[in-house]
Amino acid sequence: MKKTLITGLIAGCILFVLSYGGLFLGIRFFPGLFVAYDNPLFNSDGSRDVLFYMHAFIISFALSWFWDRFKSLFKGTFIVRGLEFGFVYSIIALLPVMWISFSSLDITIVMVSSWFLYGLAQAIIAGLVFAKINP
Amino acid sequence: MAWRKPLLPGWYLPKLIPDLKYKQMQYRNILLIILLILSVTGFSMKNNMRNQADTKRWVVSQNSSLSVSGSTNINKFSCVIPSYDQADTLTVNENNNAGTVILSGMIDLSINSFDCHNSGMTKQLQKTLNEKQFPMLHIRFLSLNNLPAMSSKPEPIKGLVDIEIAGVNKRFEINYLMSKDEENVIHLLGSRDLNFSDFKLIPPRKLGGMIQTKDLLTVEFQLKMKTI
Repeated sequence: MKKTLITGLIAGCILFVLSYGGLFLGIRFFPGLFVAYDNPLFNSDGSRDVLFYMHAFIISFALSWFWDRFKSLFKGTFIVRGLEFGFVYSIIALLPVMWISFSSLDITIVMVSSWFLYGLAQAIIAGLVFAKINP
Repeated sequence: MAWRKPLLPGWYLPKLIPDLKYKQMQYRNILLIILLILSVTGFSMKNNMRNQADTKRWVVSQNSSLSVSGSTNINKFSCVIPSYDQADTLTVNENNNAGTVILSGMIDLSINSFDCHNSGMTKQLQKTLNEKQFPMLHIRFLSLNNLPAMSSKPEPIKGLVDIEIAGVNKRFEINYLMSKDEENVIHLLGSRDLNFSDFKLIPPRKLGGMIQTKDLLTVEFQLKMKTI
């Protein structure tokens, strides 16, 4: 349990920097992709900013627990294990959620695809961290 | 029975003469008062007639429009109310001591009529302007610094307006361009920079503040009016 929390915290810190750093750079260099976020569908008063920035840690702790339970199923080098872990998570959890989001919310295919890729990247990075420090 | 001196014929005349003089004075005074009243009312009627001559009424046509433009850290937006759907009247009174032109009248714009050319942004603007609670935006015209001899060449003038958004009323000086086309349509193009915060509104921010709408907004309106 302690190992799970520690690896989750480490992965959370790494994901925090990479995710929000990547988002910041994405907004800066590809602003056109983010115009659709100027929509009341997305919180606009800043009241949920803390929750937004906590996401990196929430997903890291969840994935850390998932890794701890099923790490024996992932074979190969730490890169292969990390990649496979990321893809498994994305297919099992992300794809159905993105599917239902796109079908029910007024969002674009570009937006929902970017969320899928963002989640996939997060899961692969977390998988690599877990495979390295909690093999 | 007491003895009474017999009345001689004409005994009343000395008494009557002062009475006549008094009556004459009374009539003269009444005449003077009537003359005074006539002269005063005559002047004021003349003034009223002059006032009426200096008062014009402009009816706002449906081709009038209003736009609100602003920017975020990733893009610029422009939202328009492309056609004004009410026939309001502005009253222009040039006759006052201050030298300014009194302009009275108000236009009421439905927040729901804004079109930002993107449904999400339109909804966002309506939400930001608190459309559910305050569905109308009001522009109350107050004055112009002068009324130019209108021609096809736009003349720059200034004027005061009260703008009410989301229940908050603020007075602004507006820069106008005023002209009149060959069909005698008066074009009044007004523009003014203002802030969301002037109306106690919070500019929207998204993704934890990574996308932020700037506080500055530019409001432009083009009124097309005809004298009636």
